[in-house]
Amino acid sequence: MQTAPPTPPRQAVYRVISVVAALGSSVLLLFLVAPIAQLVTRGGVSGIRAVGVDADLRGALLLTALTATGATLFGILTGTPLAYFLARTRSRGAGAIAAVLDLPLLIPHPVAGIALLLVLGRDSLAGSWLLKAGLGVVGTPLGIIAAMLFVSAPLYVSGAREAFARVDRRFEGVARTLGDKPWRVMRRVTLPLALRGLVASGVVMWARAVSEFGAIVILTYNPKTVSVLSYDRFTTFGLSEAIPVAAALVLFAVIPLVVLRLLRYERRLDQPW
Amino acid sequence: MISVRNLGARVGAFHLRDVSFDVPAGGYGVVIGPAGSGKTTLLEAIAGLTPIVSGDISLGSRAVTREPPEDRGIGIVYQHGYLFPHLSVGENIHYGATTDTTTSAQEVTRRLGIADLGDRDVQSLSGGERQLVALARALARRPPVVLLDEPFSALDPKRRALARREVRALHREWGFTALQVTHDFTEAGLLGDVAILLDAGRVLQCGAPDEVFRRPATPYIAEFLGAENVLAGTVRVLRDAPPDFIAGDQSPGTLVPADLASGYHALEFVAGALKIYTVGNAGSGPAYAVIRAEEVSIARTAPATSARNVFRGRIMELSTLGALARVALDVDGMPLVAALTARSADELGLREGEQVWASFKALAVHLC
Repeated sequence: MQTAPPTPPRQAVYRVISVVAALGSSVLLLFLVAPIAQLVTRGGVSGIRAVGVDADLRGALLLTALTATGATLFGILTGTPLAYFLARTRSRGAGAIAAVLDLPLLIPHPVAGIALLLVLGRDSLAGSWLLKAGLGVVGTPLGIIAAMLFVSAPLYVSGAREAFARVDRRFEGVARTLGDKPWRVMRRVTLPLALRGLVASGVVMWARAVSEFGAIVILTYNPKTVSVLSYDRFTTFGLSEAIPVAAALVLFAVIPLVVLRLLRYERRLDQPW
Repeated sequence: MISVRNLGARVGAFHLRDVSFDVPAGGYGVVIGPAGSGKTTLLEAIAGLTPIVSGDISLGSRAVTREPPEDRGIGIVYQHGYLFPHLSVGENIHYGATTDTTTSAQEVTRRLGIADLGDRDVQSLSGGERQLVALARALARRPPVVLLDEPFSALDPKRRALARREVRALHREWGFTALQVTHDFTEAGLLGDVAILLDAGRVLQCGAPDEVFRRPATPYIAEFLGAENVLAGTVRVLRDAPPDFIAGDQSPGTLVPADLASGYHALEFVAGALKIYTVGNAGSGPAYAVIRAEEVSIARTAPATSARNVFRGRIMELSTLGALARVALDVDGMPLVAALTARSADELGLREGEQVWASFKALAVHLC
C-alpha cells in the first residue's frame, strides 16, 4: 500500500525543521572546532618550535607520555579480565560492578583527586604502606599514574567489554569442541577477535590519560605533565606563554586520533563467518 | 550413541523441557522442528555449550552431563559456519587437528571438494564453501559424535547432494554417531535412522523417519510434516464386521489369527460427507485422519481397484511444480488433495472443474 504524499503545508513544516536542524548542527560543530583551530593556528608553529627549545615542555611531554603509557598498560593488564567477566556474565553483581565503574567518569576530576589523596596520601593506610615500600604517591610520577588510571581506566574497561561482547560466543564454543581448554580459547580465538576493539579502547584510555588535569593537579603538581604546565604558564605568565604549550598538547592528542581512525577503517573480524 | 534423558535447558526466556531420545551407536539422527523450537539449543546442550538445568546426557558409554565440551568427543557444525575469521581456510580446518588426524583432514577436504581452498581467506568464501569448510573442520578430528545444525542449507543443489552423500559415506566408514538439524524433510528421510520432532522445546514424536512421516502422533505433526489431508471427524468401530487384518487379503468371514489381529479392527471414519474405511486399534470417538497426498490416486472413470476408499469429486485446483502435479478436489464439500506426476496428470487430461475419481487404500489412512 502506498502512503499519500504529504500535503503542501506539511512539506513546508518539514523543510523548516530540516533547515533548523542543519543550522543547529553547524553551530555545534563550529563551537567544537573553532577553539581548537584557533589554538593550533595561533600556537601550532610556536608550539612545535617550543618543543625544540623549551626543556620544561620537552620534559613535560616525555613525563606525560610515559605516565599515560604506564597507566594504560596497567589498565589493560588489570582491566581486560574484568571486561571479559562483565561481557560474559549476566548477573546483578556484574551490573553493579559496571555501574560502579562509571562513577569515576561522573564525578568532577578534582574531587577524584581528593578521593585518591584520601586513599593514597601519606596518612592513609595504603599510602603509608607504599611509602614504607619506597613508593611515594603524592608528588611523584606514581601519583600522576594513579590519577590518570582512576579517570581513564573505566573508559578502557567499558570499551573492552564491548569488544568482548561483540565476539560471538559460538566462536569460543566451536573452539572448545575442537579440543581447546578455556584459556587456550582465550588466547587463540577471543583475544585475536577482540584485539581491534581492545587496542582502540587502549588508545582512548591513553588519550584520556594524556589530557587529564584535575586529579593530577591535586596529587602531583610537580613534576608537571603538559596539562599542568599549560595551566602553570597561563597563571604565571599569561595567555601568550600558555598558547605554545597548549598547542603542543593538542598536536600530541592528534596521535591517538589518527590511530583510532586507522583502526576504524579496518574490516570487522568479529562476524559469524 | 547419543542418549538424552529428561533434558532441560534454559536460554533467556526459552526453555527446553523434558527432552528424551536415543540415537544408537553409529546411527544418524535428524532433528526436525519449526524455527524457534529449540533445535540449536538441543545440539548446544549436548555439546556442553549451553548449561542444562536438568537431565542426563550420555555419549557412547560415558555419562558426559558434567564434562566440559573439550572432553566430550564431539564436533559441532553451525549453519553459519563460525569459521575463525582471523585464520585461513587451512588453519581453520587444522585448528583442532593433532598429528594423528592430519590424514583424515586431507581426506575430508578432498572428499568435500575443498582441497584447493587451503590458503584462501575465509572472508572470500561463498556461504556454501564456508559450510563445507566448517564441516571439514569438525570432521577432521574424527570425533565419535558429530552435531550438525543445518550444515547444507547454503549449498546449491548439486553440491548439497554431493556433501550429503560424502557425509553419509564418512559416517558409515568412520562409524561416528550423527545428530543433524534440518528443515528439509527429504534430507531427514534420506539421512536419518532416527527422527526427533521438536516443537516449543519439547519432543513431539521420536522414531524411524518413515514411521514419523507415515504415522504422525498428532494432526499438528502431520501438518508440520506436510501431510495435506488432515481431516477432523469421528471414528466408529465396525463391531459387526469381522476383525480386519492389515497384512494380506482375507476373504470376508475368515478368522484372523489372534496374534496377527492384535486389536486391529475395521473402522469407519466420518468427516462431513466423507465416509472413510480404515483399520486400526482406535476406539470410537473424535479423531483426525491423515492421508498423505501421494497415497491418493486419480482416475477418469470409476476404478476397478482393491482400494477401499473411492470417491467422486470435482477438481477445484490443478497446479504443477516441475514434474509434480497437485490436484485439489471437492468431494461433497470436503477437500481432498492428491499428488501425482505431471505426466500422469497430462495423460489423464485433467482440467479444473472436471469430475474425477479419487481412491486410496484403507491402510493409507492414519488415525491420530
